Amino acid sequence: MAEPAYTVASDSENTGEEKSSSSPSLPEIAVGIDIGTSQCSIAVWNGSQVHILRNTRNQKLIKSFVTFKDEVPAGGVSNQLSHEQEMLTGAAIFNMKRLIGRVDTDPVVHASKNLPFFVQTLDIGVRPFIAALVNNAWRSTTPEEVLAIFLVELRLMAETQLKRAVRNVVLTVPVSFSRFQLTRMERACAMAGLHVLRLMPEPTAIALLYAQQQQMTTHENMGSGSERLAVIFNIGAGYCDVAVTATAGGVSQIKSLAGNAIGGEDILQNTMRYIAPPNKEASGLLRVATQDAIHRLSSQENVQIEVDLGDGDMVSKVLDRLEFEEVNEKVFQECERLVVQCLRDARVESGDIDDVIMVGGCSCIPKVRAILKNVCKKDEIYKDVNPLEAAVRGAALEGAVTSGIHDPFGSLDLLTIQATALAVGVRANGNKFVPVIPRNTMVPARKDLFFTTVHDDQKEALIVVCEGEGETVEENHLLGFFKIVGIPPSQKGVPEINVCMDIDASNALRVFAAVLMPGSKSPVVPVVEVRMPTVDDGHGWCAQALNVKYGSTLDLITLQRKM
Amino acid sequence: MNKTKKLVASISKLLRRRTCYPSTFRCNPLATIAFNHLSRDSLQPCSAKPLAISVSGLRLSGRAFCSKRSSVCWNCGFSSEKAAFLFCDSCRSIQPVDDSVDYFQIFGLENKYELDAGSLEGKYKDWQKKLHPDLVHNKSKKERDYAAEQSAKVTEACRTLTKRLSRAMYIMKLNGININEEETLTDPELLMEIMELREAIAESKDSNALNQIRSQVQEKLKQWSDSFLEAFESQRFDEAVKCIQRMTYYERACEEIVKKL
Repeated sequence: MAEPAYTVASDSENTGEEKSSSSPSLPEIAVGIDIGTSQCSIAVWNGSQVHILRNTRNQKLIKSFVTFKDEVPAGGVSNQLSHEQEMLTGAAIFNMKRLIGRVDTDPVVHASKNLPFFVQTLDIGVRPFIAALVNNAWRSTTPEEVLAIFLVELRLMAETQLKRAVRNVVLTVPVSFSRFQLTRMERACAMAGLHVLRLMPEPTAIALLYAQQQQMTTHENMGSGSERLAVIFNIGAGYCDVAVTATAGGVSQIKSLAGNAIGGEDILQNTMRYIAPPNKEASGLLRVATQDAIHRLSSQENVQIEVDLGDGDMVSKVLDRLEFEEVNEKVFQECERLVVQCLRDARVESGDIDDVIMVGGCSCIPKVRAILKNVCKKDEIYKDVNPLEAAVRGAALEGAVTSGIHDPFGSLDLLTIQATALAVGVRANGNKFVPVIPRNTMVPARKDLFFTTVHDDQKEALIVVCEGEGETVEENHLLGFFKIVGIPPSQKGVPEINVCMDIDASNALRVFAAVLMPGSKSPVVPVVEVRMPTVDDGHGWCAQALNVKYGSTLDLITLQRKM
Repeated sequence: MNKTKKLVASISKLLRRRTCYPSTFRCNPLATIAFNHLSRDSLQPCSAKPLAISVSGLRLSGRAFCSKRSSVCWNCGFSSEKAAFLFCDSCRSIQPVDDSVDYFQIFGLENKYELDAGSLEGKYKDWQKKLHPDLVHNKSKKERDYAAEQSAKVTEACRTLTKRLSRAMYIMKLNGININEEETLTDPELLMEIMELREAIAESKDSNALNQIRSQVQEKLKQWSDSFLEAFESQRFDEAVKCIQRMTYYERACEEIVKKL
């Protein structure tokens, strides 16, 4: 047996320290990686343009999976499957982007339970049990480990082709990823020996590519370079993301973002359930046939599906587009909701939109295109991007820009001004989530809010930091918590507790808390500074545990503002 | 936006003090030049520029110099006559924040309340293309800090000047008048109007009704903005403050409507 061609560093490797490492004299151009739920690609700026790397089978799009055979895992970069069905025997783990950083109470994890590999939940707020079938036994793993194995292969492939060490990367991530999930992505990269320069929400990578294209065309026409508003819609296998961007002179300012964990996987599962014979478990064969049928439905009005499931069970069915759209109505409704929300958050009327850009594997579904055309009141979809390559191209551009590469022709004279995809705030006013930095705030951002105590002589206060859009704490992602101590004895409502949140250019979130007493000009106890997130795996039950332990004794309410 | 600034001990300020890197600034020849100009500048009403309050004493000397001056790049020594020298065109390095540069100067505008808010966006993007922290990833920690501060200042400048209300408050501040946003109202007529307005917002069920209220409120906002301009230009500052108060309430009503929509 050959030596495994990868090394995965320990999960506990510290990623925080590496960022400050001094930069070499010649800047290494960071590569862009688009880790998709089902497919993955890697690209780099080659000095004059973005070059997408190909694997040994000459593929630009590499299937994201890792097979565990004989205890030696192998990822989709080097590994060649004899047949697509091999991915469905239980030995291969895929869809990791759907599972990373999620606890076992998450509906997305539950929806993954009928995948061919093992996903078990205990519904107690810890990480789910994930395992691959190796020699008829379950070998447990984690989404981070699987991603790391895959990333190592990608790195080796890139290093061979670029003939240099590859360390710095720009990765695209879904808009709906919480900061906790982002740390898990960073962890997976660290395990693979990669240093993350930037985690870019997918549509913002596409926005950068679009900004470059716009700049090139205005250069050619010597135009004034007026601002163009574009809606970017990305739907892949696992996630749907929307962004509204205002672009001028190579600068893309993200006006708003919206996203959710819906995508091709949901469409596939809904359709499979619809065409499967009653009382028949979803099998690998059916999965492959359904996937194929969905692909064909993008160009045909109806498709014939014929599958022999064995044991005398046959599926023979004609599926037409209308049926398909009905079966997946909820997914399509959610797509529409996201676009509407994103436009509203950006305060953009559909008449003002210059371009509608659609990317991702599911963007060719006619219904999805119809929704976008209808909501944005456009007859045409932007044609100058490749829906499957746009994200990785954008990431590679960002990789070159953040590495400080200068292009004499101005092709890298680019900038993305990011916005926060989710609100960050604290628990206050009972069990409510009170945003301190609302979603779609321009980054870097710093905002603060004043709170006060709810009990007389309350000496301590619990700051529970969450991220999301829900009204109650439970509906949001918990990022961490800490206590402020030493509040001087006073009546409730008197101490002013200032909670300040700061998101810097590298998207790091820090939370500061200070206690002020009326009349005093400086904080009465030293300002507490905490970098978030602090929670580790298994954080799902933390909020509940805090509730049980402290109840409302350490609560806060917002300091009332007069009107 | 401005309410936090008002509180002297607000955390943002404490932090600002901590995160700025005055050591290099102090070594900067700028500081010496500033003192040379002090006598002339003291004749001009430079009082109470908003950002200056929050920073250390030596920085205050920086603010004392006014429009005509030359600035020297900390990196290459290039000397610039620009009012807003945030970025050195010679060596492409970002300059430390100079609190004497006001928001209008950043956008190359005259110190006037009336301006075309649409024209800010383009200039804003031009600045960010030079100053954004994303672009100085490989530069020194010092310059990265300058980038963070300068880019934040330009952002704040754009935000402040874009909206009528914040622009009005800012221009008043430049003239030495700080507006207390939380001041309680005494005018019973206005109180009545606000209560009615809030009720109307709370009771309206559909977006049509809300949009109608919104356009009414925006019309009022516009009217009071015009009155502010008049009062401000004829230096009737008490009246200008009253206009700002009105604008504040209409602005809040607008926010409430948007939240409900």
